[in-house]
Amino acid sequence: MKRDGAGFRELAAPVLVVWAGAAASLFFDRYTQYVTALLLVAIMVGIALVILVGLARMITLASGAMMGLGAYGTAAMMVHWDAPFLVGVAFATALGALGGLLLGLPATRFRGHHLAMVTMVFQFVVIIVISEWDSLTGGVEGMRVPQATIAGYALKADWEYVVLIAFFAGLSILFAGILIRGHFGKALKAMSATEVGAEAFGIYVAGYQVMAFVISSAIIALGGALFAPEIRILDPDQYGILSSVLMLAYPIVGGMTSLWGGIIGGGLLRAGPELLRVVDEYQELVYAAIVIAVIVFLPGGLVEIYGRVAAALGGKRAKASPPERPQAAARAAALGHLAGAHPVSHPKGLVALKTASVSKSYGSLKAVSAVDLTVAAGSMHGLIGPNGAGKTTFFNTISGFIPPDEGTIEIFGRRMAEEPARARIRFGVARTFQNVAVYRTLSCLDNVIIGVGENDVVASLWHSIDEAVGGRASRARRERALNALAAVGLADVAGEAAGSLSLGNQRRVEIARAIVSKPKLILLDEPVSGVGAEEEERLKELLRSLNRELGVTMFVIEHNIRFVVDLCERLSVMSNGRIIAEGASAEVIKSDDVRRVYFGEG
Amino acid sequence: MLIDFLFVLVGGLKFGAIYALGAIGLVVIHKATKTVNFAHGALIMLGAYATFFLLERFKLPYWAVYVLAPTLVGAVSAFLEFAILRPIRRADMFIVIIATVFLAIALQEAVRLPYDVEMLSVAAVLEGDPLFLGDLIVTQESMWIIAGAFLFAILGALLFAQAGLGRSMRAMAQNIRGAQLCGYSVDGVYVFAWFVGGGLAGLAGVFSAPSLGVSPELMVATIVPAFVAAVIGGFDSLRGAILGGLILGIVENIAATYISAGLKSAISFLILFAVLMIRPEGLFPEGRVRKV
Repeated sequence: MKRDGAGFRELAAPVLVVWAGAAASLFFDRYTQYVTALLLVAIMVGIALVILVGLARMITLASGAMMGLGAYGTAAMMVHWDAPFLVGVAFATALGALGGLLLGLPATRFRGHHLAMVTMVFQFVVIIVISEWDSLTGGVEGMRVPQATIAGYALKADWEYVVLIAFFAGLSILFAGILIRGHFGKALKAMSATEVGAEAFGIYVAGYQVMAFVISSAIIALGGALFAPEIRILDPDQYGILSSVLMLAYPIVGGMTSLWGGIIGGGLLRAGPELLRVVDEYQELVYAAIVIAVIVFLPGGLVEIYGRVAAALGGKRAKASPPERPQAAARAAALGHLAGAHPVSHPKGLVALKTASVSKSYGSLKAVSAVDLTVAAGSMHGLIGPNGAGKTTFFNTISGFIPPDEGTIEIFGRRMAEEPARARIRFGVARTFQNVAVYRTLSCLDNVIIGVGENDVVASLWHSIDEAVGGRASRARRERALNALAAVGLADVAGEAAGSLSLGNQRRVEIARAIVSKPKLILLDEPVSGVGAEEEERLKELLRSLNRELGVTMFVIEHNIRFVVDLCERLSVMSNGRIIAEGASAEVIKSDDVRRVYFGEG
Repeated sequence: MLIDFLFVLVGGLKFGAIYALGAIGLVVIHKATKTVNFAHGALIMLGAYATFFLLERFKLPYWAVYVLAPTLVGAVSAFLEFAILRPIRRADMFIVIIATVFLAIALQEAVRLPYDVEMLSVAAVLEGDPLFLGDLIVTQESMWIIAGAFLFAILGALLFAQAGLGRSMRAMAQNIRGAQLCGYSVDGVYVFAWFVGGGLAGLAGVFSAPSLGVSPELMVATIVPAFVAAVIGGFDSLRGAILGGLILGIVENIAATYISAGLKSAISFLILFAVLMIRPEGLFPEGRVRKV
């Protein structure tokens, strides 16, 4: 892939637009400059909340507290420890990050209104502490912020603050843009599409949520710190619950999932009260009414206007021509790239998966009861059984979603201990889901890139930066993912959102995502449920060729007997939590036991 | 000593009854529509203002206020569902939360504009001599609030649990499509749930008007305890909301009396945090299916 010029433009554009706006204010009066500085801080809050609320899906009513930590942190450093302004700002930003960590750790246990309550408690606690700790913060009386100087230069005029804050706002926008567009943002979108599907590929959901709290809180605190000298006298009420509520509206009114949404929401909503000074005491009422109107008529936020206008101007963009059946040759070549130089061969007798007396009970129901099962390396092994036989529970113990009560699970000779599902990918285990768990809002390509792995939080931050500079590692990941997509026949829809594909093609995306990391064992949970007969045939061929070319072992649960008997050389049959038969597929389904349990015959 | 404590207990019960009434409306709306109504405090506030107008301006008797004020607030609440929440029913959950938050701000501002500074007061329902239960003195007003609010709260809970309407609301909240296929009208049930929930909020407003006073601040003063009570109860449990209101009222009053009056609001946050951390499903959860 060539250096991505468009990517750089997309990162630079919002920074330049904001800087241009800030520069324009320098030609106006002091009041305009003061308001511009306010708007720049609001824009920082907006992008911070796009990350936290829009992408990580964590609602927060603690933004005011974070901003307060920033402002008071700076002021306290300057007053009590005679720190230079910028040292105070750095300290305050770190304080905000710490606040985000303290709030994020308990917060990941909650969702929705419970999370709103928890963050609200944090908000009140911070304000109570600021109000009560007189000696440090001046309490309710307020705290005077000393004159800010940078390298001996005293910041006095409003325009100087516009320049200072614009500089940091630009950096924040660039940083947030890199994260949102990069791997970090993709992982967040994957999580919000399906947490289970994300965990299966090594995305530690709680870790990302805490990181989102840390990053967004640090940006908000930075904004509060930079603006503190402009306020002159800090007072805890400025950072109260009402300010948190107003800030939460920024990303929602602007557009929750895009950088522009945060910029537009923060800028316009913060400008609102200033513009509404003309309506005097009706200010709050009109403001609330405008917010409600935007929410009702533009649930996607103000950025939706752009989308609608673009659609109206451009007319209906010609839909990509229906994907032709990919040429077998192209597919084979892609498969070859994916397999790499080394031909796959498994020594005879190598075992891919071995379970010994695995059991799992729910109350008095023994869902899985002392199951011993061995899957040979390189083979295709099926598991069938009537509804409620315990197949899915057994499957989930292997993939790590459900810890077994007893028994051991070995994968290629390595004993799986307490590792959660997200760690299994490192042992070469990938899976697909019965109810497809593609990341609907991500493109097919990004779905598969996540499948490549290295999805822990810190790695994702590095990958994001690497992607922004067009680094070699992310190009290689992209290349691999494209090959995997081509191997399953989806090369021409790589850029489309996965959620917009047909069910059969979503199953293909799942398969590509599972094979791209070249796992040793793939767990397929009903890979053809809900697809038509023709598609079923094609998926069977696809799975066969993947098994052959990549040498990957496949363990398949399936209700469709004809399909599974055709696909797998060996078959295990489960009933009432036990394995009741096992052997070569054709023979197993002829056995009387199986016919009785499964088909109700005899 | 004991008498003092009983006195504190009765005071706690009085506020607890009001909180319970507020919480139960919140739970009714959440149970039926899966919406967390942050505008509930504003509806309670509207109930208090309605009481003031009907009682002091139109000189209606109290019994008529008890009928009219909840009906009016219920109608406003149903209208809000129809005009604002219905169009965003399919939207992101956060959008719905923010919409109710700004509805609360708008309603508060709407009453603040004409009556900014004054705290309006209304007469108590029963102004007769206090009752002497041994050494314990209880005003008739307190008795009425405790008895009346709990009675209405329990009635509301029973109605919801028993009536066919409660069943359709619960069905709807669990599976909209399924309920539609069984012939329930989603729009109808949503509007009705908001009417009932808003009506209960209005009732809470009537009960709180004499003792808490009528002012825009009533919005904040009631939304937090109503939420805490609902969370204590498990947010989906009507029984839990009543008990939660009771517990909160009593604990708050004990803490305010024996530790520090300033602690009154802090204590509700403490309880809220403790319940969320230790038992997020609430103290009295309804049996619920584990989602896998």
